[in-house]
Amino acid sequence: MIELDHLTKRFGGFTAVDDLSLTVNTGEFFGLLGPNGAGKTTTISMISTVLLPTSGEIRVDGAVLDRKASSEKRKLSVITQEYSMRQDMTMDEVMEYQGRLYKMPIKTIREKTGELFDFADLGDYRRRTVRHLSGGMKRKLMICRALLVEPEILLLDEPTAGMDALSRRQMWNLLRQVNGQKRTIILTTHYIEEAEALCGRVALINKGRLQKLDTPSALIEELGSFAVDETGEKGLVSRYFKDRSEAIDYLSDAGDNASLRMTTLEDVFVECAGRKIT
Amino acid sequence: MGIITVLWEKWVEFRRDFYKITVAAMISPLMYLIIFGMGIQTTSHGEPYLHFLIPGIVSMSTMTGSFSAIAQNMSVQRLYEKALDQVMVSPTPLWQYIAGQILGGSLRGLYAGGVILLLTLPIRTDLVFNALSVLILFLNGMVFSTIALTLSFLAKSYTDAPRYTAYIITPMSFLCNTFFSADQMPNGFRQVISLLPLSQTSSMIRSIANEEPPGAFGFIVLLIYLAVFALISTAFIYKKKNL
Repeated sequence: MIELDHLTKRFGGFTAVDDLSLTVNTGEFFGLLGPNGAGKTTTISMISTVLLPTSGEIRVDGAVLDRKASSEKRKLSVITQEYSMRQDMTMDEVMEYQGRLYKMPIKTIREKTGELFDFADLGDYRRRTVRHLSGGMKRKLMICRALLVEPEILLLDEPTAGMDALSRRQMWNLLRQVNGQKRTIILTTHYIEEAEALCGRVALINKGRLQKLDTPSALIEELGSFAVDETGEKGLVSRYFKDRSEAIDYLSDAGDNASLRMTTLEDVFVECAGRKIT
Repeated sequence: MGIITVLWEKWVEFRRDFYKITVAAMISPLMYLIIFGMGIQTTSHGEPYLHFLIPGIVSMSTMTGSFSAIAQNMSVQRLYEKALDQVMVSPTPLWQYIAGQILGGSLRGLYAGGVILLLTLPIRTDLVFNALSVLILFLNGMVFSTIALTLSFLAKSYTDAPRYTAYIITPMSFLCNTFFSADQMPNGFRQVISLLPLSQTSSMIRSIANEEPPGAFGFIVLLIYLAVFALISTAFIYKKKNL
């Protein structure tokens, strides 16, 4: 279980994360969503101890997480938004370095590396240096690196950014498998459908503050499960209805420029953030 | 053990860049030896100047070898590659990471000094280099590795590393007992220069080379530098809010 307790992070006069409190339960697939600059990456960086909070604290299974907390950090593995790897190492070396940092036996590192590379279709490139890999391959390598150490808690900051649609679907399946092994996953993503497909609960944050926290279906229900899109002088405007018959009544009055559809998590997002997230 | 992991990482780096590292370690010291020691043939205290120069050049090489191995690499890893994040989130105790960097940097310095010693072997000088010399050079490398680590944590851009070399390493190379004795400096300046780590290392290496005891003062100075900068860099990695 991870608890964020009144977590605040300031950079000079700018508050990136503002009094954020939430709990992620063991085995949960949890989404952290918000527009650019909402504070998602800063939050992940604080959980991974790269950044220290200005105030508040993070607890893992009840113990405070800081840079000295080796036993708590052993439970964590992170896939950062940037390719945080030595660019001059080969893929094999990146994996061995990770395994050694987590005190894994060399034999186990090599066996698991082989399995993960086969799974990720990277086996043919293992002697290639990171700087000579494509963006998608680097992303896959980071995922293999994170999974090598079999973490109890996996932090994913935009893990499928830059991946093609097929690779992204493969990644979803992999993450479902990982979560199925009772591992906790915290995911930040710009792909709203990704969060909707994968996450049991999502937190919507904006300007560093928690706006909403619930299951995707509950958030959609709260806004209204039915949406009517209307194109007018102000562009596309959506209205939300809890009841289908209300939506149909509105639609019949609205004329030809309106259409009915089911509300999505992206709608919740847009309403919450006040602008479209892409 | 985290120290072994860092030494393994340094070994991977060394193995891959062996030729580049070796050539880089040789060029400047070799130029100094050729120009000042062989080209401009002078004497110092009745001895060939080369006898004075070689201990200084070897000491200087361990300094530049250790400093550049850490300063450039850590700045790039922290600010550009973000590879330090991988270490920060791992369970490896961060003091072990720092200790590994210091030892790894020092070994690189020792390698650079060793290359220069090998190059000067054909020159018959009767200078003595023994196990104590190796220990002093290793200690010197540790001092400059910790200074490089501290500066790397202060760097705001990975282009700061060459600036640190220009501001710190280049002046020390020329002023700290390498090419001429710090005793010839004006009063006041001389005392400051003599307290710098390279001055003490060069002085001790030169004493041993001339079969004289190096004295304990130099060791104390080097150990103080090592302790201070090791503590600062360890405090940075544990306490710095935005690493």
